Amino acid sequence: MTACHDIQPRLSQFVDGGLADDTQAVVAHLDTCAACRGVVRDLERLRGAARELGPMRPPDHLWLEIAGQIRLADRPSPSHSGATPAHRHAVRQWIALAAALVVITLGAYVVARFPAGGSKTPPANTTGNAAGTGSVELVQQELAQAEQHYEKAISELAALAKSNETSLDPAVATTLSKNLTVIDQAIAESRAALSSDPTSQPARDSLFEGLRRKASVLEATVVLMNQMRQGNQEGAAKAAAGLGKKS
Amino acid sequence: MTEQRAHPIQSSNLSKGAVQGHADLELAARCLAGVPGAFEELYRRHAPRLFGVACRLVGRAEAEDLLQEIMLTAHRKLGLYKGESSLGTWLFRLATNVCLDQLRSRSARFALMTDALEDEPNAPPAGAGPVLGVIDRLDLERALAALPPGCRTVFVLHDVEGFEHREVAEMLGIADGTSKSQLHKARMRLREMLAAAGPAATARS
Repeated sequence: MTACHDIQPRLSQFVDGGLADDTQAVVAHLDTCAACRGVVRDLERLRGAARELGPMRPPDHLWLEIAGQIRLADRPSPSHSGATPAHRHAVRQWIALAAALVVITLGAYVVARFPAGGSKTPPANTTGNAAGTGSVELVQQELAQAEQHYEKAISELAALAKSNETSLDPAVATTLSKNLTVIDQAIAESRAALSSDPTSQPARDSLFEGLRRKASVLEATVVLMNQMRQGNQEGAAKAAAGLGKKS
Repeated sequence: MTEQRAHPIQSSNLSKGAVQGHADLELAARCLAGVPGAFEELYRRHAPRLFGVACRLVGRAEAEDLLQEIMLTAHRKLGLYKGESSLGTWLFRLATNVCLDQLRSRSARFALMTDALEDEPNAPPAGAGPVLGVIDRLDLERALAALPPGCRTVFVLHDVEGFEHREVAEMLGIADGTSKSQLHKARMRLREMLAAAGPAATARS
């Protein structure tokens, strides 16, 4: 009779149906050996359990970080930067700087939101180009899309801020929250103006711009936090520059 | 990649495959054209599988960074996707390569580790019959994470993701026979660990 130690290395292949010549010998052994039958049973069970493992949902904030990285990658860069995962460390002090940059950027945005001149060219990214077409349906569609993007960005950033890894300093978070409130008010004004005059191009532009800028700032903020967490100062500087620019 | 075995993730029929192929190319084209929301759609559709394999190959701690790297690489290389395989398969290949590169960079002895394990003696059977009852998913994930990277990689690619030994061997640059023996080692080690994990895993059925 074949010994267990000769048979066992073949049991995985036996379970997978991959044994060509040895099947009869394995079957003959299994007929007489409860221990090896037990191994076969366990291997089958294990294989079945492995196939049930399936996909894993990534954390919500990851998409925001990736979207921001793509934005950064699309910008002209003097040199590529990217810390390898092995170099990534938490640098909490940078987070405060990140938030401070956001505050500055949001302040600049509030000023820029009320331009003395006429409407600007509609942004090409999230908001698309329907604002220039005059189609009410398309405008409403894009408004809904922009709002959806905006709301998602907000909720993901909030989730990120709550996470232990990258939580903001409470004082900075409060300041940030106040500034976000100012932005929300500005957006609400634009929305109200658009509600009273749905054909108003400046109101459309203003609302689109508000939503887009806020989403953009939030994305860049998350990227900045990520770069700082990684200790990647060059990438952080690039992200910080992105915060202050129209993207 | 051939897909001979039925598998929860990879099984499909031809007509469904053709429709999916068209949808994949269409989505890739929208991404390349910069249509708003297109790349996010790709991400939402495929990231969970890619994140799953990254977590299991390199560990949860590094998987988030690697998923970012995978998606940024995909964004950069999407123009190379011509529809020869499903977009999911194309992305999965890319993800696997990123993860394996990471494993190799983590340990230059990665290949040696897979080979060395082959020479280890088999663990003796833990009992005179089956020792595993219902396998708890979390217990299995934990045990999997505790495996050496060489045999864990083979187990993930073969048993979790459904690749054949020939494909696993090609991805890892090892012989078919090494893939088979690594898989057996991984399964036997998992059996031992799960048997020791507690009543949930050891209850005989």
